Amino acid sequence: MSSRELAHRSGPAPAQLADVLERVLDKGIVIAGDIQINLLDIELLTVKLRLLVASADKAREMGIDWWEGDAFLSSRHRDGNSLDSRLRRLEEKAGLPTTPEEQ
Amino acid sequence: MIGVATGWYVYGVAARRDGLEAIAQVVGRGPLAALVAEVPLDEYGEETLRERLNDRVWLEEKARAHEEVLQAVASIAPVVPLRFGTIYDELADVERLLDTQAASFESALERVRGRVELGVKAWAEPSRLAAALGGDEPAGAEPSGRAYLERRQREQRLAAEVAARSAELGENAHRRLLAAAVEGVANRPQPRELTGRDEPMILNGAYLVPVGDDALHAEVERLAAEHESLGITYEVTGPWPPHNFVET
Repeated sequence: MSSRELAHRSGPAPAQLADVLERVLDKGIVIAGDIQINLLDIELLTVKLRLLVASADKAREMGIDWWEGDAFLSSRHRDGNSLDSRLRRLEEKAGLPTTPEEQ
Repeated sequence: MIGVATGWYVYGVAARRDGLEAIAQVVGRGPLAALVAEVPLDEYGEETLRERLNDRVWLEEKARAHEEVLQAVASIAPVVPLRFGTIYDELADVERLLDTQAASFESALERVRGRVELGVKAWAEPSRLAAALGGDEPAGAEPSGRAYLERRQREQRLAAEVAARSAELGENAHRRLLAAAVEGVANRPQPRELTGRDEPMILNGAYLVPVGDDALHAEVERLAAEHESLGITYEVTGPWPPHNFVET
């Protein structure tokens, strides 16, 4: 742990993108609950809301899912040549019990 | 922006103060001020926005711009962040939003007044945690398939133990940090793809604390000292606008 990591950032130190996206895309007030992006004429508090990218769920539907996945379950993102999958293939070939894919 | 269809992007709603105009255009109604920007709908329109959101460079730029405006506002007034991409047709729509939702905005502002959001992340180094759990196996020749198999099984048990212990450490840390904050929330840990780090994140907390209050930092220092031998490290981020503490 460096003192820098613990320091209270008072200056304009650039925040990590992950932290910014998590807050900006997934937190904050959503004006009308779960507004669908294609509901252009939704009546909202008698205000016509033009457009709202409502949530991370919506972004996921649009294919922006690269921040998704459990920290402990990331193997689905690895390619087929990762050590794990190579090991599994070897184990299968050798008739050994295979390593669980995710743990 | 003559000739281009535009909309009004709303960053957030603040307690009305002098000086907000220097940060963004202000739509003021009574004690409330919406921070807005006129945006071209050929960039923020429904169809293009779908594509833009998949453009990581664009998304990063816009998300950071959204955050920077809110940061600047938060430095001079309580602010309720709106989620990225809230866009109205007309300024009159923004005025009506403030009018019809005045009570809930005011209570949301009251909740965050004089407070900031801090992020606390904790990271585990699985090999060090495994060693601390007594699973440090001497590496050696593996003469037989049986020895190999037994070793694999030991490793699997240990990995499960490490994962369980990591989760428990994260939960305990969150409970202790909650006691040092006004409010707190444990968000889902960010995945490696997003953090760019090999170590798994075991805590991704956000805490609302009074401005200038050091209790949370002090507790993080204590946790870091206690957990150093387990390979757990802590990181504090912020102060942030209170994104995590405005949902009704």
